[in-house]
Amino acid sequence: MTQGTNGSIQLRDISKRFGDHIAVDGINMDIPSGEFFSMLGPSGCGKTTTLRMIAGFEQPDTGSIVLDGQDMVHSPPHKRPVNTVFQNYALFPHLNVFDNVAFGLRRGRISKDEVNRRANEALELVMLSDLGDRRPSELSGGQQQRVALARALVLKPAGLLLDEPLGALDAKLRRQLQIELKALQERVGITFIYVTHDQDEALTMSDRIAVMNEGQVEQMGSPQEIYEAPETAFVADFLGASNLMDGVAHGRDGNGRCQVTVGDHELLAALGQSDVNGPGKVTIRPERVQLERPGTSDHHENRIDGEVERSIYIGSAFQLIVRLDAGCTIEVEIQNSGCQETFEIGSRVVAYLPPDALRVLPEKRDRSQAAPAVARASDRERTGQREETTESSTENTDTGRTARQAQA
Amino acid sequence: MNTIVDTAPRRGLLAAILYRLTALVRNPHGKPRALMTITWLYMIWTIVPVVVAIMFSFNDGRSISVWQGFDATRWYWGDPVHSVLHDAGLQSALWQSLKLAGLDMLIATPIGVLLALGLARWRGYGKRPANFLMLFPLITPEIVMGVSLYLVFQYVYVFINPSTTAQVIGQVTFSISYVVIVVRGRLMSIGAQYEEAAADLGASSWDSLRLVLFPLMLPAILASMMIVFAISIDNFVIAQWLSCGAGCDTVPIKVYSATRSAPLPSINAVAAIMVYLTLGAVILAFVLYRLLTRGERVKGQAGGDFTKMGSVDFN
Repeated sequence: MTQGTNGSIQLRDISKRFGDHIAVDGINMDIPSGEFFSMLGPSGCGKTTTLRMIAGFEQPDTGSIVLDGQDMVHSPPHKRPVNTVFQNYALFPHLNVFDNVAFGLRRGRISKDEVNRRANEALELVMLSDLGDRRPSELSGGQQQRVALARALVLKPAGLLLDEPLGALDAKLRRQLQIELKALQERVGITFIYVTHDQDEALTMSDRIAVMNEGQVEQMGSPQEIYEAPETAFVADFLGASNLMDGVAHGRDGNGRCQVTVGDHELLAALGQSDVNGPGKVTIRPERVQLERPGTSDHHENRIDGEVERSIYIGSAFQLIVRLDAGCTIEVEIQNSGCQETFEIGSRVVAYLPPDALRVLPEKRDRSQAAPAVARASDRERTGQREETTESSTENTDTGRTARQAQA
Repeated sequence: MNTIVDTAPRRGLLAAILYRLTALVRNPHGKPRALMTITWLYMIWTIVPVVVAIMFSFNDGRSISVWQGFDATRWYWGDPVHSVLHDAGLQSALWQSLKLAGLDMLIATPIGVLLALGLARWRGYGKRPANFLMLFPLITPEIVMGVSLYLVFQYVYVFINPSTTAQVIGQVTFSISYVVIVVRGRLMSIGAQYEEAAADLGASSWDSLRLVLFPLMLPAILASMMIVFAISIDNFVIAQWLSCGAGCDTVPIKVYSATRSAPLPSINAVAAIMVYLTLGAVILAFVLYRLLTRGERVKGQAGGDFTKMGSVDFN
C-alpha cells in the first residue's frame, strides 16, 4: 500500500450501468490533493455509485480512476490507498471501539506498539479516548460517526471518501459536526470526497462542488460559483430557493443583455450568458424581487403585474407567493426591517424583476461545455482504438438518455 | 329518552353476557386474551405427552401405562437386567443416535454454511432455481427421501452399503437445507456492508471472512447446529431405510420395535434421556448465542434491531 501519498484523484470518462439503468454516465473530475470536494445531487443521481467506484466496491464499465498518476481501476478495494466512512458507519458490532479503529492497522505489517499508539492517537483526534472499550451499540449516533472517522483516518489514506456521513444525525449535531469535519480536514490535509444530497452541507464545507443529475455532472465549481452563478436550470433549482420561470430567449440586445419573453412580457436579463436563443428558464432569487403597489412607478421595464396569493411570516422575513399575470407564480422574500410595506393576500401588486438579478438558463446543457479542458486534451492523445470504444460508449449512453427523457 | 347514549342492547341476560364477552375480546387496548388462551392451550397440549412419557420412566412397575408408584432409578440404572445401564441393546441404540446426530451436525453445518455463502453471493442467472432447489429436501416427504436414498445406494452408488456411513450420508443430505436456510437468513440481515468495510480497511477476502463475517455468522451457525442435532437425533425414516440391522438401530427404531413386542419403562427412560440431551443442547446453544451477540444488543432492550432481523432468534 502506498499510504501518505499526496492524494490527487482524477476520474476519466467513468460510466456504470446496472442492467438497463445508467447510474453514471461519463463523468470527468479532477480533484487536486488536499481538496474538500463534494458530490451533490438528488438520490439516484449517481453520486454514491461514483464514490463506490473510487473505493473499489464497483467496477466502472468504462473509464479510468487515477490516483497520484496510477490507474486504480483494476486493483481491489483492500489494495487502494483510500478509506471510506460509510453512510451507516458499518462499525463491526462484535468488536469494541478500539479494535474497530485498530482493525485496519492490524492488517498491515505494523508492530503492536505502533498499532496501539496510532489507534489511541486517532481516538484522541476524534475526542473518544476514554470510550475505547465500549461496543459500537453502546455509543450515540454522533460518537459512532466519530469512530467511523477515526477508523478510516488512522490508516493515513491518500483520500477519504465520505458517503452521507451525517445523514443519520439530528439537525443540531449535524451542524456541529459539519464544522468539526471541515476543521479536521484542514488539520490532516487529506483529500476528502464527500457525497451528500444536502446543499447546506455541501456549501458550508466544500472547496469545490460537483452538482450531479442523472449520472452526469451538471456543474462543477466553488460553492459561491455554484450558488451565485448556476449554469443550468437544474442547478438553480436544486440549490434552494430560486424562482424558475419558463421563457423564450431572443439573444442579446444593444446593451449586452439577454432578451427573453415570459408569457407576453418582455424581460431583460443581465446575469450570466446573454447570447441564448430558444426556450429556457428565467431565474431570480426571492430576495431580489421588489414588490410595488400598482401605479407607484412610471417605468414599465421588467415589471409584471400580479396578485398576492399567500403571505407567510417566517420571523426574519415575510415570504410571499405572487401569481404573475404572465402565468406563473414566484416566491418573494421581504426582509422584516420593521418599516417594510405589507401586502395583504389578494391585493394587486407590481413585481419588479431587476435585470441585474435575472438570469437566463438554456433548457438543456451543452455537454461539451461541462467537460473539463484537461479531459478533452487527454482525449486527443488517445490511440485510435481507444477513441473507437469511447465513441461507441457515448452512442450507447446517448440512446439511453433519450429513452429516459421519453419515459419522463 | 336517552336512546342515543345507551349503546348496550337490552335483549335479556344472555345477550348482555355475550356483549360483555365480545367487548372483552374486542377491546383493542386490553390484553389479547383470546390469543393468549389459545397459546397456552397449545403449549399444554404439546407438553402433556412429553411429561407423561418422562413420568412413566420413573414407574416402579413394569407397565408403561399403569402407574405403580415412584422409583427414581430403577429403569435408568437400578434394574440389573432391563435398566438402560444394563441393557446393551438400548445402550447401543442411544450411542448410535448420538453418533449419527453428532456426525450429522459436524458434517452438515460446514457444508451448509459454505452453500449459504455461495448462494448469498450468487449473482445473475440460475440464482432463483438454486435457491428453490435448496428447499427440495424440506418439501420432499421423508419416506420418499428414505426409499430413494436406499435405492440409489443399492443400484447406483453400490460402493455404499447400508451402514452407519450410509445413515450419516442420508441424514446429512436431508439436514443441509436447514443450515442453508438459517445461515442465509442471517447473511441477508448482515448485508454486504461489513465485508466492504473490512476490505476498505485493507483486509483480504480471507481475512474479512475470518475476522468479520464468521463472528457475525456464528449465532446462526450455532442455531443451525442445534437444529441439525435435534432433527437428526430423532430421525426414524432415513435411519431405518439405511440401517445395517441391529447394530445400526437408533433409539427411535428401538422404541418402535419395543412397543410392538413387550415394552418396559426402560424405553421411556431412554427416550427421556434423549429429551434431557436435546434440552441440554438447546440451553447450551442459547447461552452461547446470548454471549456471542452481546455487543449487538442495546442496553435495557431485549434485542437490538440487528438481532431481530435474523431469521432465527432465541429471545
